[in-house]
Amino acid sequence: MTVQMLNTKAEQAILKTFEDNAARLPGGTALQELRRAAIGAFASKGLPSRRVEEFKYTDLKAGLKDAFPLAKGGADGKADDIIRSALGALLGAEVETSLIAFADGRGLSAKGEASFLAEALKTPPAWISSLMADESLNASADLLVNSALFTDGALIDVAADAAPEHPLVIVSAAGDRETEAFVALRHVIRVGKGAKVTLVEFDTIGRDSARQSSAVTQIEIGDGAEVHHIKVVAARKGSSHLGHWQVALGANATYRPFQLTVGEGLVRNGLNIAFNGQHSTFDFGAASIVHGQGHADSTLVIEHKVPHCTSRELFKTVLDGQARGVFQGKVIVLPDAQKTDGKQMAQALMLSPDAEFDSKPELEIYADDVACGHGSTAAEIDPDLVFYCTSRGIPKAVARTLLIESFIGEAIDKIEHDGLREAIGAIARDSLAV
Amino acid sequence: MLEIKNLHVKLEDEDKVILKGLTLTVPKGEVHAIMGPNGSGKSTLAYVLAGRDGYEVTEGDILWNGESILEMEPDERAAKGVFLAFQYPMEIPGVAGLTFLRTAANAVRKKRDEAELTTPEFMKVVKEKAAKLNIDFEMLKRPVNVGFSGGEKKRSEILQMAMLEPSLCVLDETDSGLDIDALKVVSDGVNALRGPDRAMLVITHYQRLLNHIVPDKVHVLADGRIQKTGGKELAHELEASGYAGYTGKAA
Repeated sequence: MTVQMLNTKAEQAILKTFEDNAARLPGGTALQELRRAAIGAFASKGLPSRRVEEFKYTDLKAGLKDAFPLAKGGADGKADDIIRSALGALLGAEVETSLIAFADGRGLSAKGEASFLAEALKTPPAWISSLMADESLNASADLLVNSALFTDGALIDVAADAAPEHPLVIVSAAGDRETEAFVALRHVIRVGKGAKVTLVEFDTIGRDSARQSSAVTQIEIGDGAEVHHIKVVAARKGSSHLGHWQVALGANATYRPFQLTVGEGLVRNGLNIAFNGQHSTFDFGAASIVHGQGHADSTLVIEHKVPHCTSRELFKTVLDGQARGVFQGKVIVLPDAQKTDGKQMAQALMLSPDAEFDSKPELEIYADDVACGHGSTAAEIDPDLVFYCTSRGIPKAVARTLLIESFIGEAIDKIEHDGLREAIGAIARDSLAV
Repeated sequence: MLEIKNLHVKLEDEDKVILKGLTLTVPKGEVHAIMGPNGSGKSTLAYVLAGRDGYEVTEGDILWNGESILEMEPDERAAKGVFLAFQYPMEIPGVAGLTFLRTAANAVRKKRDEAELTTPEFMKVVKEKAAKLNIDFEMLKRPVNVGFSGGEKKRSEILQMAMLEPSLCVLDETDSGLDIDALKVVSDGVNALRGPDRAMLVITHYQRLLNHIVPDKVHVLADGRIQKTGGKELAHELEASGYAGYTGKAA
């Protein structure tokens, strides 16, 4: 190990965390080797600074001053209470769900189609082993740390043509034992041919404890399957979340993700999607509402490898205080991917002159018969529209809220499930009221 | 009663003076028209009445029912009964027409100490009023004014007016961009709101609208002041002679 090459406190702490916990992390010999390789690669790479292009606007070397110790996990209190407080809005909307819950990285309870990955790793089936060895997850330091240190996660295997009645919800909640902790989860999801499923990831951080959380989700979507995938991250000040979705899409498949990020913490959500089969659709909506000195980064890489696929992204960011929003969307259209139809739009509403929005759409097109486009805007609330509303008797503050909600609403409306759309809308509205 | 007294208005960011001592009284139950050439200050008057930012009143006052409204925010004025039908109604992407109408109607009702409309009550009223204005109810489920034709936008303004039940209606160039059929529908909508407790100020460049909304008085506004006041026949005179006599140059 090349510890001497690293110089930040956080990097040193991450390495020490691994040394202290390696023996207790789940997985057999093969996985332990992968974990060692990952931490080794991290040791030589270090946390990315802004000189690493993918992290140009999210300098983790500077942003993570220290790394919290790995959470011991679990909870002293009632599991139900912890889940309830993490899931308030969803319960408020009376959405019936199949729930798998984690308290600080340890499995708490599971019902329905989901089970605990740590359990499955004792004798992992071949498909899980091959996902664990996915080289593409070694691309950046945030992913390497997750590979080295994840303690558990959800394992969801949806059979061909199955259509679970309720959304499958993964909750990662802060337990009540520790005030500062690092949490790493790895979720593994396989959706069989022709299946239809709605997945929800809830990453919420307790009101009086700080967390550094890392969550990587690997999804394989079979031919003709339809997957709706929602993620909510609420990060308080002093907390961070580094998330990543690695998605492989079959033929004639549909993948509709949505991500909501709220709070004042440091959040980065990466998404890599590969179109491996023809005539598939990817339709992404995201909303970030960031206050204070919060930072929300959405970084996408969309790889069109085959012809006749469609990708859509709509990103809405509301920034207040000294908050910073980042959108990076790279669409790669490989030579075989003729008739690709890709469009992306990133829009920011600036509520404060001190907020910053960095938007970097990129197109890399190697095929000649494609329709690809992107757009990006950053604007304040239109004073003319505020006047129009107030002239109709709507108080200024209500008018502003109405206009902000409508801005965000365009993305939230992409959520198909009525109850979830309502719940996500409620969380977004609550965070605007801060 | 609306009383505008010796109103002087300049643009906030520039030295340009637009209204230079405008005095005008509109009693309840009457409809007054303000006609004038382009650049005479018609729209400025409309915006200052509604309380838009960007204008500075340097002298004079505007009283509505004896109370000065100059220091009031636009929403307070709306609660007091002031309504401006915009020359160019704005599009609000993402806000459904019904949501907008209901939020506005209940905001003014609340400030007027009236009970807020329940959903069924609101739906009933809005359906009735929309039908009278030939507004397709489905259109109100779409975002406010987004993708509407000029005529649809103007009808949407009159529907908002009908929903808010103002006591002072200011119509800014409501006839612009309307074909003859739309003009008839909009005028009928405005005429239906005429009543003994309501004052109306109809701002227009052309006499055409005043064939449909027949005013009690006509004022000629030029160079920031009322130059002449007369009966409805004054509008016909202007149609024949133009504004040249008031501005010293052909309009």
